[in-house]
Amino acid sequence: MANPMEQFSIERIVPLAVAGKDVSFTNSSLWMLIAMLLVAAFLYIGTAKPQLVPGRAQAAVEYLYDFIRDMLRENVGKEGLKYAPLIFALFIFVLACNLLGLIPFVGAFTPTSHIAVTFGLAAIVFVLVLIVGFAKHGLHFFTLFLPEGTPIFVLPLVAAIEFLSFLSRPFTLAIRLFANMTAGHVLLKVFGGFVVALGSFEALPYVFGIIPLAVNVALTALELLIAVVQAYVFALLASIYLNDAVNLH
Amino acid sequence: MPQFEPGNFLPQLFWLAVIFAVLYFAVIRPTLPKVGRVIDEREGRVAGDLDAAETAKHEADAIRTRYDEAMAAARQAAQAEVAAASEKAAAAAEARMQALAAVLDGKADAAAGQLATARAAAKATLAATTAALTGDAIAKLTGIDVPAAEIEAALAAQA
Repeated sequence: MANPMEQFSIERIVPLAVAGKDVSFTNSSLWMLIAMLLVAAFLYIGTAKPQLVPGRAQAAVEYLYDFIRDMLRENVGKEGLKYAPLIFALFIFVLACNLLGLIPFVGAFTPTSHIAVTFGLAAIVFVLVLIVGFAKHGLHFFTLFLPEGTPIFVLPLVAAIEFLSFLSRPFTLAIRLFANMTAGHVLLKVFGGFVVALGSFEALPYVFGIIPLAVNVALTALELLIAVVQAYVFALLASIYLNDAVNLH
Repeated sequence: MPQFEPGNFLPQLFWLAVIFAVLYFAVIRPTLPKVGRVIDEREGRVAGDLDAAETAKHEADAIRTRYDEAMAAARQAAQAEVAAASEKAAAAAEARMQALAAVLDGKADAAAGQLATARAAAKATLAATTAALTGDAIAKLTGIDVPAAEIEAALAAQA
């Protein structure tokens, strides 16, 4: 059986190095590029001629953008709408990477199944929260770690816990997405291996391969759902963290 | 797992940074705010139109009320006028009836007077004629010439 981890291997398509550091153009870069180009096509076509009464392409863009704006309105308030383009960029980039990785036969690679990529995206959220928080509240931003109404004698402990949970956010954000994508792809590959293994049972060929194949069909549907849900969760958590920066709880 | 090979981190982070920067600054920034403006404009337009419709409805209601009031007033005025006119007409008809009745009464009286005169005249002529005719008839039948005064007396006694 093929190693189910093989699908995650990074292949250097164009080896590059800048100042002795490896910055090769890899299969991961290629699929991020494809995702970016598809999003660009979607957005440039959808907003070519913005009309008061939208056409199909514009309605599709508006639907997604409204979805993000509503999420920010709900979780952050009117002030959050300023950050809608950035949250939208995160959402649609994660969504495109997740979905493209599920295409069979074309050697698709899922950049979001790599912790480096998901951590990079989470770091964008973390840095955004820090910048917005300090720009808006200055040193008052630290009161984020001091929940109101905490008895004074447990305050140091609570503050420490709050601080740690704040610091762990980019890691949880990164690991959640990476683990979901990786687990799903491993599962698909494992059941794919079962199809071959059971299907090549010599006394009765092909017949038993049907069972894992059916499982794989169902899993593919589930993975499509997870691809969308994880993009949504990423954007939702980003806006919830942003709410801390804008409103200090 | 290839995900945890440190040698794979830098190329991915580098290209993520490049591609995400392009995505944000060259794709999202020039396109998405246009749609946002259109959405806001549409919301504004819809809210404005709703307000205008609300105002127009109020105006229509006010006009309707004014119309109803004017209609009621006009109806009342018309009814009063109709009542007055019909009263006047009735009075006029009454007066004309009375005048006509007076004229007709006069005419009837005159006619009755004339009739009485004519009857008296006819009666007077009738007596003389009857006497003459009777005298003639007696003369023819008997050959006796009876004086007129006698015949008249006899006729008067008969009548």
